Amino acid sequence: MKSAWVVMKRELASFFVSPLAYVVLTSWLVWNGVVFWVLTEFYARNAVSSGAASPLSAFFGGSVLFFIPLLVFVPILAMRLIAGEKQSGTIETLMTAPVSETSVILGKYGASLVMWCVLWLPTVVYAWIMSQHGSVDWGATASSYFGVFCLGAYFMAVGLLMSTLASTQIIAAVLSFVALGVLFTVGIGEFVFDGAAREVCAYVSMWGHMQSFSKGVVDTRYLVFDLSVAVLAVGLSIGALKARRHG
Amino acid sequence: MIEVEALSRRYGNRLAVDDVSFIVNPGEIVGFLGPNGAGKTTTLRMLTGYLSPTSGGIRIHGIDAVASSIRAREQLGYMPEGVPLYREMRVQEYLRHRAALKKVPNVGEAVDRALEQAGVADSRKRIIGQLSKGYRQRVGLAEALIADPPILILDEPTSGLDPNQVRQFRQLVQGFGGKKAVLLSTHILSEVEAVCDRLIIIHEGRKAADLPAAQDDLEEVFVEITTGVGKNKP
Repeated sequence: MKSAWVVMKRELASFFVSPLAYVVLTSWLVWNGVVFWVLTEFYARNAVSSGAASPLSAFFGGSVLFFIPLLVFVPILAMRLIAGEKQSGTIETLMTAPVSETSVILGKYGASLVMWCVLWLPTVVYAWIMSQHGSVDWGATASSYFGVFCLGAYFMAVGLLMSTLASTQIIAAVLSFVALGVLFTVGIGEFVFDGAAREVCAYVSMWGHMQSFSKGVVDTRYLVFDLSVAVLAVGLSIGALKARRHG
Repeated sequence: MIEVEALSRRYGNRLAVDDVSFIVNPGEIVGFLGPNGAGKTTTLRMLTGYLSPTSGGIRIHGIDAVASSIRAREQLGYMPEGVPLYREMRVQEYLRHRAALKKVPNVGEAVDRALEQAGVADSRKRIIGQLSKGYRQRVGLAEALIADPPILILDEPTSGLDPNQVRQFRQLVQGFGGKKAVLLSTHILSEVEAVCDRLIIIHEGRKAADLPAAQDDLEEVFVEITTGVGKNKP
């Protein structure tokens, strides 16, 4: 486990000295700043007419504006995790050090979760702004962030798996984008199909997931799904990294 | 000590390493020679645990490297071809990271010693990506030495260096004679003559020769073994 911690520390140190970190963080904040502004304007000008009860709950997954940047930024953040090591050749020094594949993958995954949290941390200021001009349901806000974290645990695990499978970072990014995009679209099937197909789509729906959490409802079905996908993807990443020795 | 027995590695249908056996004794510097594509790097990658052998056995310092790969890797210092490094890190920072990864007990002391041994103490605060190739090569060597391993495996450590850097590097490696078991892969014959006690020639995946490094005309021996034709003969 100590090795995982060493791998994680280096990953984060390298990420936060790279220009990519600041380009992503700045773009992310610009995007979300605009989204938050438009949503507050909408609620200020219109009596509540949508399903979401407040600008904050609309911000957390109440519109497609929440998902579009995630489908782009998650692949960009995750692409370098293992594929970056392959591309630079450092995978050879990493995997000939006395560390297990499990430690490497867990360290990388841990780093990706920290990146995810850093991405979201500045948005806490939106909740504070709302609290200055009206009332904020802090319980719903807390459950929104919890939902965001769980969604991140699942997204980053998928990104990590693609980065482990791909030979270059750009291929990793494209694969993650497609995987997450398909999962997102399947979730929309909730509004399209009937019967069993609707049930299945609702179960994987990122939209339903975030709408539930942003209203303060912590639905364990979504938690089980997020956790299952995360465990599966991390486990497959360990397997893929082990298989590399035989390739 | 490195003991290799009947080592083979397949890539799909291609047999890259075919039934190779050899020993590197403690304190001995052995040259691992062969034309490009002969299977040198594949063999070294199996010794260091980067690749699994298709068949055969490897013992590193008495440890079965196939069954207990991680324990075997603790006994090794490895400098891969091209010396891949995290270029965004500072030299000292990189070595500290590697020392932690290799579970070195006293990191600060180990970093100072490795920097000194590899002759990069003056560049400890510099960013790796901004160093010259010769210095990066030394950082790679410092990394291989960080845990003070009994065995060193160096894959083409002098490729791309200028003649002065090559000479300095050879002197560094020569200094390990009698102290560590060193396996040095190269296709530069003068390098073997300058630093090695013994040489192993590998050709088309098979071991073609295991000789003392002091030969009257090493080039002729090499050409004859790898082409089947004497240098001065038609």
